[in-house]
Formats: sequence, structure tokens, C-alpha cells
Amino acid sequence: MSTIRVRSAASYWLAVPAAAWMLGVVVVPIVLLGWVSLWGGRSFSPASPLTFDNYSKFFANKTYLQLALSTVTHTVMLMAVTGVVGYAIAYFMTMKVRHPAWRLVLFLAFVVPFWTSTLIRGIAWVPFLGVNGVINQALMITGATRSPIEAFLYSRFGISMAQVSLYTMMAAGPVIYMLNNIAPQLREAAMTLKAPPFVVFWRIVFPLTLPGVVIGQVLVFLNVMADFATVATVGGNKHAMLPNLVLLFYEGSQHRAASVVAVLLMACMLIGVIAAMKVVDIRRLGADR
Amino acid sequence: MTPGSIFGWRFRLGLTGWMLGTLTVIFLAYQWLPILTLGLLSFAGPTGGTTFPMNGVSFHWYEELWKATVMNDFKPPLLRSSLLAAACAGTTIVLSVMAAQAMRGKFLGNSWFFYLMLLGIMAPGILVGFGFAIMMRLLGIELAWNTTTFLVHVSWTLPFGFLTMLAVFNRFDSRVEEAALTLGASRITTFRRITLPLILPGVIGAGLFGFSLSYDEYPRSMFTTGPDQTLPLAVMGQLDRQLTPEIYAIGTTTTVFSLIAVLLCTSALWAMRRSTSYRKT
Amino acid sequence: MDTLAHTVPGNEAALPAMARPQLDLELRGIRKRYGDFTAVDGVSLKVAKGQFVCLLGPSGCGKTTSLRCIAGLEEPDDGDILIGGKEVTKDPPWERDIAMMFQDFALFPHMTVAKNVAFGLEMLKKPKAAIAERVQQVLKSFEIASLADRKPGSLSGGQRQRVALARAMITEPRILLLDEPIGALDYSLRETVMLELKLLQQRTGISFIWVTHDQNEAFSLGDLVVVMNHARIEQQGAPEEILQRPATAFVASFVQGNNVFRGRVVQAVDGLLKVETPAGSFLVPGSDCAIGSEVSFSVRAENLTDITGDHHLNRLTARCTAVEYFGSVRRHIFERPDGELLKYDQFGAHAARIAAGQATVLGWRPEDTVLHTGVAA
Repeated sequence: MSTIRVRSAASYWLAVPAAAWMLGVVVVPIVLLGWVSLWGGRSFSPASPLTFDNYSKFFANKTYLQLALSTVTHTVMLMAVTGVVGYAIAYFMTMKVRHPAWRLVLFLAFVVPFWTSTLIRGIAWVPFLGVNGVINQALMITGATRSPIEAFLYSRFGISMAQVSLYTMMAAGPVIYMLNNIAPQLREAAMTLKAPPFVVFWRIVFPLTLPGVVIGQVLVFLNVMADFATVATVGGNKHAMLPNLVLLFYEGSQHRAASVVAVLLMACMLIGVIAAMKVVDIRRLGADR
Repeated sequence: MTPGSIFGWRFRLGLTGWMLGTLTVIFLAYQWLPILTLGLLSFAGPTGGTTFPMNGVSFHWYEELWKATVMNDFKPPLLRSSLLAAACAGTTIVLSVMAAQAMRGKFLGNSWFFYLMLLGIMAPGILVGFGFAIMMRLLGIELAWNTTTFLVHVSWTLPFGFLTMLAVFNRFDSRVEEAALTLGASRITTFRRITLPLILPGVIGAGLFGFSLSYDEYPRSMFTTGPDQTLPLAVMGQLDRQLTPEIYAIGTTTTVFSLIAVLLCTSALWAMRRSTSYRKT
Repeated sequence: MDTLAHTVPGNEAALPAMARPQLDLELRGIRKRYGDFTAVDGVSLKVAKGQFVCLLGPSGCGKTTSLRCIAGLEEPDDGDILIGGKEVTKDPPWERDIAMMFQDFALFPHMTVAKNVAFGLEMLKKPKAAIAERVQQVLKSFEIASLADRKPGSLSGGQRQRVALARAMITEPRILLLDEPIGALDYSLRETVMLELKLLQQRTGISFIWVTHDQNEAFSLGDLVVVMNHARIEQQGAPEEILQRPATAFVASFVQGNNVFRGRVVQAVDGLLKVETPAGSFLVPGSDCAIGSEVSFSVRAENLTDITGDHHLNRLTARCTAVEYFGSVRRHIFERPDGELLKYDQFGAHAARIAAGQATVLGWRPEDTVLHTGVAA
């Protein structure tokens, strides 16, 4: 019993505005894109005949397929890096830092950048990675290199570096949450059952944090696959991922092609998320055990 | 057990701690250095380029920002972004509280509703923006920052606010509501006078999400603003045209504003939490 | 496995070295501080083979910290811990010959009951087939064989307690540490579980160290009861000893059914001390007490009587404020002349003689008075 009766008309109606908004602004447009991707002909007209030509044209093009593949591999690589680094940071912050004050300081230090613009943080990598940038200056000052390395900026490596800094905390956040929820008695019980520290981690702690790991990976996956801004800024015009392709086609008024890529992107993301949902029940977020 | 072995378990445990700690600190630097570099470079001298050397220290680029030529006028976009973000925050708050409260009622089809909300987070900005633009074109509706962009922005911020409120309600002890109901209060009154004050921190959090996500939103705005740009669009546009340290000045300014806004709200939140929580006497 | 009758510590020195029973556990001067707060201050304890020890005391007295030091989950600042004669003070928990039962059972939520129970043996690197067989055995003996493939989340409190017990016992430890193990159970279950655990301890001959704040548990289960307060051991001994001869005012008042008095010695003659208290003067058996020294003493509620005879040399007048009838005992609460409450228990099915509001004289024999001699060295 609470301020809302279970299965009452009120509960239904309260949900309608939000549902209508999401349906109208997200679902319908995406379905529309699916429709447009099937348009034959050349003009922008709802009366266009429906055909799979646009898809066959796309899949016949080797460059585009390469691009799709490299987007996926890039994303997976980034998921792995952010996953490992994120977990290490999460573990350190929750298990190794004793003093609650320090823990708060660290937490804020990591979270505060997130409250600033992702765009700005992406742009900030340009002077950092450039020929005259901070990294090159540092390397030259310490004598590690004699001439600036051009390969940092406008390269896959540079893009990855920027994205790792942008998205690792997304991988770490859910893990921090799960780690905090592990009662210390569980680890202590394992220790009294003759388990040395590494075994305690591997057999008890890690399995219990898996839902957090999965959620974090999903967040990184979604963000990296859709991230065209960082790719464009840090990668210059030399590199493109799938989302950049959408933009390219759109700017060239090739709506059909753009829609095809959009549908493809959406499909990838749906597959990824559904797979993850099988492992984890997000609806229990925040509930006390 | 080898007594006194220097590489014993205690050593290994400490070593792990140190390794993880070093990694954390390195990563902290890794996260902050680019922003700090940006901030530093924004104070470059008048002849400074967009990377080092700085050629002096000055407020020159901030002055350029303030002077606002036709090409580089960031004040209208700033205003638009702020208004848009504020409107988003307000709408997000109202809709997400309603939606989360609805979820408590476990209405028929509520899991579908939940997935619908999740779809908003999942769907990439370019796709939603692109699709929405196409839809507007088909319907013959003109794109403008205060109509179409607003609609799309809320579709992005609403799910985040919704999840926040869900988490808040999950932790919420509905027995205080029951107490009020047994004391003769109606459901509406109970919600207004008991529930709302207690979930206020969550509500403010949702509003914060709404504001900052909208303020920073780029891909959705890109397709739907029409002729008038929002701040992120203006910044990216400038980036395409002409890379001067003025960009860094904008970046630094926006960052500082965001930081101040968030810190203020967070302290307000924290103060509210403390006043409504039980503490051991 | 025969139980060793609780040897009063200190008598071992009288036996020849060869026959001296090995102690399962020995604590020597354990000290543990957390910043300004001293949790354990000079705790020394000897636990003989197969003894059931109860650490009893109010919350914050240091009993749980002491237990955790024995487990190795806390490291003492000072002192030594010996398990089975071997010094383990610096050893981590996974190298000690112990097992522990936690208050909320701490079952691994992501593992089935069978896997939970098998865990300890896996850590000992036993062969898989042997583990499987042993797990089956243990599950059967704890009557949880039907739960083998279930996860802890779906079990009741009583079932979880058995799983936690099975998980701990399967490794055949020398000492089992139990941290308020039945606190999380329904009241009706507690008696049954207490009896089961007592029988289990006797059957297996493993030393149990049981931490609790509940005296009923401690006195019915323990061979050796250790009463702790403010990081120190106030008294340790067999239950009867603690109940009949409390060593300090704290122990006397903590344990049920004692009336505690504080006063000053004014006379000492014939092995009796005359003590002046705000409630009157009383005769207390004792010597070695200087005139003028402050002492405390107690008398058990059942040793009082309202039909005073000549040998009831200690008397006071008090007014009855309440009478509680429990069937076999009638407890009267009186208000003493010094304002404190006095408990008088009347056994047997006599008709009620005293009503609430009535003032009467109560007396008791000097021999029934116990002088608090202080913490034993």
C-alpha cells in the first residue's frame, strides 16, 4: 500500500506521457529509418517503391564492410581496455582505500570530469596528442624520443587514447557499485575456509561483480559504437567509423544509404544489449538486498 | 609457513595495493591532463597557436570570446543551450517522477514500458536525430531549436531521470506513506507532503541529469536545430572552421560553469540528505 | 571422542610434562587498539582440548574482536596466539586450523549449497571424487542433502544455519569460532539449535568458541564461560562458579538473579567482614581486606528469605513494588533503603506471602554472601 494503488488506472495514466514521448520521438523515427532504408527510386518521397537494393549495394562495397568490421573490432578492443582498467580502478577504490574521506576524494576526482562536456574533453585531446602537444613535449624533454611522433593525433591510436579516458569510468561505475554491495563477511568466510587472497577474489568477489562488469561493458559498447564526435575531432578526416558514415551520407543527401547504415548500427547495438540483458536484471537497480 | 619470509602473503597483498594504486593515479592524471592542458592553453598569448608553445600568457582569447564577432558569436548559442537545458531539466523531472511512480503501481505492461525507456539510452544520438529529422521532413514540420530539438533532447534525458527515480523509489520505505494514509491523508496529499520531500534529492539528481545532458548534447541537436545553433554545435562549427585558442577559452568557460553548477547542486543534495536521514545519536 | 571435563586452568602445572594436555588455544596478553579506542586490553585465555568456551559480555566489550583475532581477521597489537601449541599470531586466516560461523551465515550467494560446503575442501586441494563423496556424507549428517542444488537465497534461516555449519565443519578444524550464531534465528528455533550444537561439539571433540551477549546461551552451553567487559576479562570459569561466586560487581550485576551491594569495611573479625553500605550493615565472609577499603558483594535472590531466623544475620527492611509469578518461582522486586532494587525469589508452590506495597524484613545468612574479590590474575 502506498501512494499508488497497484494496477490502478492512475498508474497507467501516469506512464502515458513518458511512453508517448519515447514512442513518438525514438521508436517511430527509428522505424521510419528502417522504412527509408528500403526505398527504391531516387527522390525523397514516401511513395517510393520498397526494395532491398540499398542493402545489397552497401554489402557489396568492400570499403564499407571493412569499415563496419573495423568499427566492431575497435569497439571490442576498447571494451577490453576500459573493462580491465576500470575494474582495477574500481577494486582499488573500494577495497584498498580504507579511509572514507580518501575514498570520497578519489570518487569525486573521477566523477567530476563527467559533469563537464564530453565534447570539450574530446577536443582537449587535440593539443595533447599533437606534434607540439604535451605528450610529445614530455617524451622529448625526458629524452625518450628525438623528434615528435606524428602517429598520436589523427590516428586510430589517438582516437583510442581519447576514448579510453572518456569511457573507462563508465566501465568502472557499475563495478564500484557491485563491489560496495559485497558484505565483508563473505570474503572473511572464504579466508577462514583456507582461501588465500587471490582465490578469494577469483572465486568470490569477481563472480559477484559480474553483473556490474556486464552493465559497464554494455555502456562502453553503446557509447563507443555511436561516438562519431571523438573520431572526427581526434581522428581528423582520415578515419571513420560506422556513425561517421551515417553523417557522411546524410551530408551528401544520400538518405537511403544513411538509413541503411543507421539500421545496421541499431541492429548491432540491439544484439549487444539483449545479450547483456540475459545476464543481468537491471530492474533491481538500487534495491536493498 | 615460512616465518619471516619477506615475500610472504603480507608483502604480496601490499604489492597488489600499490600496483592498483599507481594505476589509479596514472589514470587520474590521464583523465585530467587533457582538460588542464585545455585550460592552460586558453590563456595563450595573442600570437599563440592551438598547441604549444604558448607565446605568453594573456586573457586575449577570453576577450575575443567576449567581443563576439559575427562569425564567432557564442553568446546566443550559450543562451539557447541554457534555456533548452533548463526546459529539459524541468520536463525530465515531471515526466520521470510520474513514470517512476507509475512503475510502483506495477501496471500491465510495465516491463515493456521499462524497456521502452531503456531504448532511449541505447539508441545512438545520430540515429534518433537523423530519424527525427526525416520524420519532420515527411510531416513538413520546420526544424527549430526550441521545438524539435527540445523534443529530442527530452527523449535522451528522460530515461536517465527515470532510472534515477527508479533507484530512489527502490530504496524508499513506503511505510512512511502508509503511516500518513492511516492518519487520514489522501493519496495526493501524502505524495505532496510526505513522499516528495523525501525523494527530493533524487528529483534534483534527475533534474541535474536533464540539465547537463541537454547542455552537452551534440548529435541530437545536430540534426534538429535548424538555423539557430546550440552551444556544442557552435563549438564544433568553430572547430571545423578555424582552430584558435578561443575554442579553448569556450571549453574552459563551459567546464567551469558546469563544475560550479554541479558542485552547488551536489552540496544542496548532500545537505538535504543529512537533514532527512536517521543518524545514530 | 571423549569430552575432557573442564580442567580449571592452572592445574596443568601439577601434571608431569608428558601427560600435560595440549591446549587447543592459548591467548597471551592480547591487545588491540583502533585509534583511541582499546577494543581488547590484555586478554589471556587457555582452552583445553575439546572445550566449549563461551565469551559473554555486553556489546562493545571486546568479545567479537577477540574472536576475530583468534581467526586471524584482525591482527593484535600485542600478545601471542597459539593454536594447538603452535604460534599463529602472524599467520593469516587461511593458514590457521580454524573454521568460523558468522552471525548472518555469510553463505556464498552465487554458489549452490553443495558448492558452498565443498569450498573448504577445494581449498585444501583434495581430489574431486573424494570431495564429492565427503560433501554427500556431510550433507546427509546435517540433514540438508535435499538442498544440495539450491542457492542460499532460497533457503530459510534454519536451513542456512545448517549449511554454514556443514561448510565450516567439513574441514575438521581444531577450533570452531562462532559469532552469535543463533542470533539471526527465530526464537522457537534457538533452543533446538543450541542443543544440537552442544551435542555436535561433544561428539566431534572440536573446541567451540562461542561469542554471545545472551547469558542463557552461555551458561547452558559453556564448559568455560569468559565474562568480558570494557576490553578485559572480568571472570572466567565454569558456569556454576560464575553464577555462585561472581568475582566482580559487574559480573554479579550482569548475571541474572544477583543483588549487588557496595560499601566500606568497618570491622574484620573471625573471617567475617562487617561492611557499611547505604542499605545497612552486613556481614560478608572474607579476610585480607583492610578496614576502610571499598568493597562490593552480592547475594543471590533465592538465598533471601522473608521468614527470618536467628542465623539470618544479614537483614534489611524493604518495600515490595512488584511480584512476578512464573509457576515454579515467584519473583519479588523490592525497593531497598538505598533506593536500589532488590530481587527475592521464592521457590516452590507456597501461597503468596507478600503483596505489592507491603514492607517486610528480608534476611540471609552471611555464608550466602559473596565478596567480590576482583579479576583473577
